[in-house]
Amino acid sequence: MSEVPPNQDVVGDQPIALEDVVDRDALDDLCKSIHALFGIGVRVYASQGALLANVANELELCRYVNEVPGSRAACGATVIAAKSVAPGDDGEVTHPCFTGLAYHIVSLVHEGRRVGRIVLGPYAPAGLREPPPSLAQADKRLDVARASDLAATVPRVKQEALQRIAGHLKETLELIIFSSHKAWVTSKLHLYSVRESYRELQDKTTRLEQTLTRLKEVDRLKSNFLATMSHELRTPLTSIIGYSEMLAEGIAGELSAEQQEYVRTIHAKGEQLLRLIMGLLDLSKLESGTMSLRQAPAQIGPILKEVITTLAPVARKKEVELALDSDDAPCELAADAERLRQVFINLVDNAVKFTPKGGKVTVRARVTAGAAPSGDDDDEAAGAALLAPLLKQVEVRVSDTGIGIPAAERVKVFEAFYQVDSSSTREYGGTGLGLSIVKRIVDAHGGQVSVEGNEPNGTVFVVVLPSAQTRRAALPSRVPPALA
Amino acid sequence: MQLNFAAREVAIKLVYYGPALSGKTTNLKALHELTRTDSRGRLMTLETKDDRTLFFDMLPLVFKAETEGGAMNLRVKVFTVPGQVVHASTRRLVLQGADAVAFIADSQVAETENNAASFLDLRTNLKELGRSMRDVPLVIQFNKRDLPNVRSDAEIDDLARRGKEPVFKASAVHGQGVMESFFGLLERAWRKLDAEHDLTRKLGIQPDEFLAKAASSLGYEGKARMLCDAHVGGSGKGGA
Ligand SMILES: Nc1nc2c(ncn2[C@@H]2O[C@H](COP(=O)(O)OP(=O)(O)OP(=O)(O)O)[C@@H](O)[C@H]2O)c(=O)[nH]1
Ligand SMILES: Nc1ncnc2c1ncn2[C@@H]1O[C@H](COP(=O)(O)OP(=O)(O)OP(=O)(O)O)[C@@H](O)[C@H]1O
Ligand SMILES: [Mg+2]
Ligand SMILES: [Mg+2]
Repeated sequence: MSEVPPNQDVVGDQPIALEDVVDRDALDDLCKSIHALFGIGVRVYASQGALLANVANELELCRYVNEVPGSRAACGATVIAAKSVAPGDDGEVTHPCFTGLAYHIVSLVHEGRRVGRIVLGPYAPAGLREPPPSLAQADKRLDVARASDLAATVPRVKQEALQRIAGHLKETLELIIFSSHKAWVTSKLHLYSVRESYRELQDKTTRLEQTLTRLKEVDRLKSNFLATMSHELRTPLTSIIGYSEMLAEGIAGELSAEQQEYVRTIHAKGEQLLRLIMGLLDLSKLESGTMSLRQAPAQIGPILKEVITTLAPVARKKEVELALDSDDAPCELAADAERLRQVFINLVDNAVKFTPKGGKVTVRARVTAGAAPSGDDDDEAAGAALLAPLLKQVEVRVSDTGIGIPAAERVKVFEAFYQVDSSSTREYGGTGLGLSIVKRIVDAHGGQVSVEGNEPNGTVFVVVLPSAQTRRAALPSRVPPALA
Repeated sequence: MQLNFAAREVAIKLVYYGPALSGKTTNLKALHELTRTDSRGRLMTLETKDDRTLFFDMLPLVFKAETEGGAMNLRVKVFTVPGQVVHASTRRLVLQGADAVAFIADSQVAETENNAASFLDLRTNLKELGRSMRDVPLVIQFNKRDLPNVRSDAEIDDLARRGKEPVFKASAVHGQGVMESFFGLLERAWRKLDAEHDLTRKLGIQPDEFLAKAASSLGYEGKARMLCDAHVGGSGKGGA
């Protein structure tokens, strides 16, 4: 036959053992109630003969019979027979005792198998008048007259009534066996399904981990490749730029106006290409996390002043007004000042670039009360009233009166290479990398950058940077500081 | 199958498979209703409160048959699986050791995809248990014939002729087609086991005789052939 697979006990056809399934105390209580009701002894045996319940008062007749050695032996033999006699095809049999009393035996059936038996008795059958000859034969010393008197005191039970009692008890017990078996199966299956879910989960986790490792590797290779390529491209490019500059300055002899124009174009395009390569390099470094931010205590004021100074000439040349409005309130950031400068250079450069002559670009910095550390976790929002005063942030708004960005485009501009209007590429140039670098740097500082419209026209880029203290508080509070 | 030769006892396991809510449990309940009390045990259903099968349902059918070699005991346990997709591992567990499978499909046209998905799930699970569709006898039941928006009889007949499994039509809530599907399944299971284990010689009973005895024990005296044959498609006699 096919080998028995695991778990076959639950979904197969293994016989149950009564003693495993039925609670003995409950069984005992049931037998007691039957005994109290009808005055007949009740015993329940498992199929291998183990006695599971035994509720009976010894009859006086039985006590007497057991005092005489010969009849004691006969009594023992009767009890053993009652335990083992095979109930017929209908599962019921009456086994006579040598005293004239009798035992009624009913088998317990579960899923078509006999799993045990109930033995009722001894009782006196309704028709019993005289003890049978077997009583006297058991031992000559037995006082038959006395035994006869004692037998008369045993209540008579009609066969019919007895069968009803037995039938009822059998049904009740079989129901208990069924329910217990069902509970047993259910608990087994619960265990099984928990184990299976755990195993499946582990499989998935392992697969995910492998994928993650592979992706990380791919990512690392990509960054490496980009970094190497950028470097390899930059070296010859620097020469092209250098030599075209020298040519333009006339070091190799005077150039005609036309030659001069060509050389300057070569130089300008070279510079543009270099910026693109530098941008890509930055982006790949930021993406792979290999650009290390040197986070140190910093204030926003000096950074912004430097940015304005750097870009003032560009603005002046384009006849765009550039103003700084800072409240100069102290707020310590944990930041890489060089990177933050890059953020605002990009934003102010864009603002000036996309604002026509006569427009205005304003950089406004304020220290404000910070929002509670983000996270919809109750745990993290807890104690906001106490923590809020400590939580400060710097909000820098770079607003211009330029061409503006349609609402639908405001998220996309942070994607690498994205430019709102491809035709604008020609008018304004650029590579479309600036804002994606901005976003990555701001993210790395635990801050946020977003775009709003400016009234009546123009754009406002809002950068919010949490103070050093806020960032420390943002660590999930359920992590013990020692582990954070 | 478990064959206890000394006790002349054969235990067969039949599994009702199919998509969620196709009527597997309903089939089993009807089978319980429609069979003689002295040949069946209690129906064990392990359900959630909204009647979805959580682990399985199981109905034991037990009867004796007199044969040339003496009396034999036949024990048939009919299981249903939980159809809901989440219970995949339980389905696999229940499927272990199945001697034959009845696939209970929902006739509603909208359920076509669910039927197919569940069938593929059956195939996958058998494969994971190291078995294949080829060595597990299968019958298909199109249930819920009483509903509107079901595949027409002609369509089903056409589908049945294209496959090699016998197809039964049923309306399990009304008890229709339930006994037919069951006997069709029992026949195929028995013929397969007979071919593999030579039960005819070992137990002294021919398949047709066996089915006749089973039918009379379950309360269908003389109707075995008629019940088994109430299908479309299939190779008529069933078997492997
Ligand atoms: N109209 C109609 N409804 C049926 C029929 N058979 C079953 N149903 C109904 O379909 C629903 C689902 O039946 P179940 O037998 O519980 O389905 P199941 O396949 O056991 O479902 P799971 O246990 O979730 O896998 C019930 O509401 C049934 O009454 C049928 O022949 N006709
Ligand atoms: N202040 C602004 N006003 C209007 N449009 C803007 C502004 N800032 C950015 N944009 C739009 O977002 C696009 C992306 O900006 P981003 O700084 O990333 O690229 P870029 O300026 O085109 O090129 P570069 O890489 O040289 O910065 C711009 O091309 C422009 O369409
Ligand atoms: Mg830019
Ligand atoms: Mg069900």
